[in-house]
Amino acid sequence: MKIFYFEFLKLRKKSRGWIGPILVFVLIMTAFPLTVEFLNEDLDQAFFSVLWIALMLVMMLATEDIFLEDYNDGSLEQLALKNQSLALILGTKIFIYWMLIGVPISIIGSFYGFGITRSFDLGLNILPILLVTSYIFLNVFSFGNALSLTKGSVLGTLITMPLVLPLLVVLGKVVISINIGLNYFGFLVLLLGILSIIIVVIPLIISFIIRAHLE
Amino acid sequence: MSKFAFNSISEAFTMQSLNGQNHGFYVWSVLAIVFFTLLITFLVYKYKLKKISKKIK
Amino acid sequence: MIKKFIHQFASPKTYLFQVTRAYPYIFVTSILIYIISIFWGLFLTPEDFVQGNSYRIIYLHVPASFISQALYGGMAIASAIFLIWKVKLSAYLVKSIAPIGAMTTFIALISGSIWGIPTWGTWWAWDARIVSTLILFIMYLGLISLHDSFANYEKADKFLAVLVLVGSVNIPIIKMSVEWWSTLHQSASITISDKPTIDPSMLYPLFGSMIGFTGIVVCLVILSSKLHIFVREKNKSWIKDYV
Repeated sequence: MKIFYFEFLKLRKKSRGWIGPILVFVLIMTAFPLTVEFLNEDLDQAFFSVLWIALMLVMMLATEDIFLEDYNDGSLEQLALKNQSLALILGTKIFIYWMLIGVPISIIGSFYGFGITRSFDLGLNILPILLVTSYIFLNVFSFGNALSLTKGSVLGTLITMPLVLPLLVVLGKVVISINIGLNYFGFLVLLLGILSIIIVVIPLIISFIIRAHLE
Repeated sequence: MSKFAFNSISEAFTMQSLNGQNHGFYVWSVLAIVFFTLLITFLVYKYKLKKISKKIK
Repeated sequence: MIKKFIHQFASPKTYLFQVTRAYPYIFVTSILIYIISIFWGLFLTPEDFVQGNSYRIIYLHVPASFISQALYGGMAIASAIFLIWKVKLSAYLVKSIAPIGAMTTFIALISGSIWGIPTWGTWWAWDARIVSTLILFIMYLGLISLHDSFANYEKADKFLAVLVLVGSVNIPIIKMSVEWWSTLHQSASITISDKPTIDPSMLYPLFGSMIGFTGIVVCLVILSSKLHIFVREKNKSWIKDYV
């Protein structure tokens, strides 16, 4: 509980760390209709693809320095020396990032979905997919940033993009299902399954990587 | 093993199929790419090994 | 005795001596088998009823595609051995295999693209297996750049091993993508459980080319691992004696 509160305050204080990605997301989703013909009836066809890509890019941006500041000021080393599990602390950190960045972006994204497709049901139905996908992205990109902790975020992006692309394939199937009008509950369950594995495994792997960095 | 699929060298070069299309260009270009990629890889490694062996000596 | 035989390979020195002795035999045999199989496939097999003569690219494309995935599987096993038992040689092998894997994936992608033109009328399709192979290629490049970006080899080995293991989830996706998603790409002709759907006259040169190409790739891995062992162990006395 204490870790949760501490990490929450840390991120909340660093306003550019969580407001920045949200604003970038709003910017992308607002700019998208401006780049196509304004009265285009088929805007909603491309909307979902842009939504997933924007979500992915913003999550990448959000995790750019998730561990770097703590590594540079030595607090990561202190966390590693604590009695508590480092994996639990890191998992909590990622969860807080998701709470302050992923959840607002998912809500905003579903509003855009409602706005562009003019279907309240659709806007509501993509909310759980956005929530789950944003958490998966956060975990994967945190892993990439942990690997490239002292080498800049570009390397982290390069090595984690291939891991994220199959997820985009699944999201593409969701887009097709939405456009045809099929039920995409199955895809949501698949994403939840992926998340349930990632949520346990990734913090463990990141803690191993960070201990290796600190050696 | 059976008889040759082509009756002459020029036929083997063009590899014309039953539908009339010439597939020789595709097959020979893939063969060339595979051959040169493998050759270049071998040569690069041989060169690097030679260089580092000299350094170690 | 078998355990002793296997354990001796944990030493880079023993590995180096043994593979240097075996290399000429593997090289000559695999080149011979490959050339004979390619010749057989290109000139002695009949034309395919549907694809015409363009199907002959199968003897070049399929071995490369198979090996690119097999190499990643090998890297995953070596990474697990390194992380669990801290065997130095496994780390060297993981680093050595990555560039060879990238090369074979490159061959698979290029040959597949060229084969697509006469078969599907397009050199590229955003199809599950093709995209998964492209992802595999990018992963190999990512692995190479990750290891090269660290000056401390021990750290680099650890991180590379972790990334290989995490990325190994992509291999079953490539393997199964053809069944899971409706796809332009041909489904597997050779499976473990069923009879092959390919005619025997075309199957045997395919097996031959796969064996030959595997041997050639093994030779390349031997060269690559030799180079990496020289780099990492260059200050040891036994290397100076060896060279």
